[in-house]
Amino acid sequence: MLVLRDLQRQYTKFRLGYLWTIIEPLGMSIVLWFVFSMLLGPRKLGLQPYLLFLSVAILPWWWFTKGVAQMSGVFRKNKGELRVSLLPTELWVLRILLVTMMEFILSLPVILVAVILTRDLPGPLIVLFPVGIALQFVLMYGIGLLIASYAVVIPDLARIVRIAMRALFYLTPVLYSITNIPEHIRPYATLNPLVAPLGLYRVGWWPEEHESYLHYGISLVLCLVIFAVGWWAFKRHEPRILKEA
Amino acid sequence: MPHAPLTPGLDAVVAFEGAGIKLPQLNRRKVGASRNRLKRIRGDVARDEVWFVQDATFSVARGEALAVIGHVGSGRDQLLRLAAGTLIADTGTVRRSVPIVPIVGLGGALNGGYTVRQNVYLLGSLLGMTQAEIVERLPGIVERADVAKILDKFLGDSSRLVRGRIAWSIAMAVQAPAYAISQALTVGQPAFQQLCWEVIEERHATGTTFLVVSDKPSELKRFCDRAILIDGGRILADTTVENALELLREIPPPKDQVHFVIDDDDDEDDEELI
Repeated sequence: MLVLRDLQRQYTKFRLGYLWTIIEPLGMSIVLWFVFSMLLGPRKLGLQPYLLFLSVAILPWWWFTKGVAQMSGVFRKNKGELRVSLLPTELWVLRILLVTMMEFILSLPVILVAVILTRDLPGPLIVLFPVGIALQFVLMYGIGLLIASYAVVIPDLARIVRIAMRALFYLTPVLYSITNIPEHIRPYATLNPLVAPLGLYRVGWWPEEHESYLHYGISLVLCLVIFAVGWWAFKRHEPRILKEA
Repeated sequence: MPHAPLTPGLDAVVAFEGAGIKLPQLNRRKVGASRNRLKRIRGDVARDEVWFVQDATFSVARGEALAVIGHVGSGRDQLLRLAAGTLIADTGTVRRSVPIVPIVGLGGALNGGYTVRQNVYLLGSLLGMTQAEIVERLPGIVERADVAKILDKFLGDSSRLVRGRIAWSIAMAVQAPAYAISQALTVGQPAFQQLCWEVIEERHATGTTFLVVSDKPSELKRFCDRAILIDGGRILADTTVENALELLREIPPPKDQVHFVIDDDDDEDDEELI
């Protein structure tokens, strides 16, 4: 674990300027807000205030895509190190997860800016925000291990992941709210394991986003299952991963 | 769980039991790698897997210096990597009672994009040192590798000799109970090589175990107590260094080396976010 902290430090040294972690998502939120709120105004996509609504979900979404994209290539990128490393192999995946999570946490002031701009303070359900982080962490670790392992076997997987991410972006309530989905398909939509963490982030501001605890329970189980599958795939492929290094 | 799990009760430092490993051997064909890759996706070209080590059974006792003797491509390095645990055997088992630090292609783990100091931290932790140990031993490493002047400069494309000195000094600073060294028993210029000798001979005398691969017979003769002869992945003899070298002379060297790995066109993963 000490190692990770140290690796992280080195990582951040190369990200000249912490400001970029804020400017980038903030700019993106504003652009999307402008398009979906101003240009396509009366449609009422998502919930109000839209700028805040958007930024609360887009930050974790970035954490998710960035993390998964980087994790998919991790074993190929770190070949040289992997060859001599006496550390557990899964640490390379965990390292990216932690680094991207740190970036996510460092970018949280964007939400603060959005709160100030919209003067909309969260309610008591904001305590569920960290729960969302924890849930997303488990989910990403599972997906990361799974994809990272198979990316070694199938070199083209990284590309496929990229396309899948894009599709997932529109299938996941980032730009819109889960309440925008018609009632009869909503149960299927909530099977998307990202719905629960995103809902948990938002619920502080919009209690109507709150789902039943049964749903959160199902999501947790789903995340754990994905994690278990990821771990199993990783252990199965570990000899192979080391061979390719 | 580390990928080099230890078996504390084991008598030997490392014990191979029928261990074997096959590795993908991708020959770069003239038709071009991309077409091959397409075929591979369709499943037309089976990845050629070649047994690099087969049915290896031997063990190394504490304090021994074992030479692994064979021609290039005989599976020497793979044997060392199996011993260290940076490869996992496909068949049989490899058990070790203490961590074995691999010095097999260590230079590849140094990163030119980091400073020398950062590289010490990076490689040091890869080889199993804790943060505190690295902090404590950093001055020693710097002094030994003689890199005080460039400590906070980027490693960049500094010469192989400098990289060798740095990697070697870090590895030795781990003070591991066992090392698996390939072609790097001594590195650098003659003066530094002299220093290497002093260090490893002192370590050997105080009970550190060594597994050594080298193309310099003189090194092996001087340093090792025992040798195993390996050819085509199979262990042919377990004998003295002199005998093994003698036997090696009777084995024809391989004609050409065909161990290319397709270069992955490592395009920068600029993640598009949306």
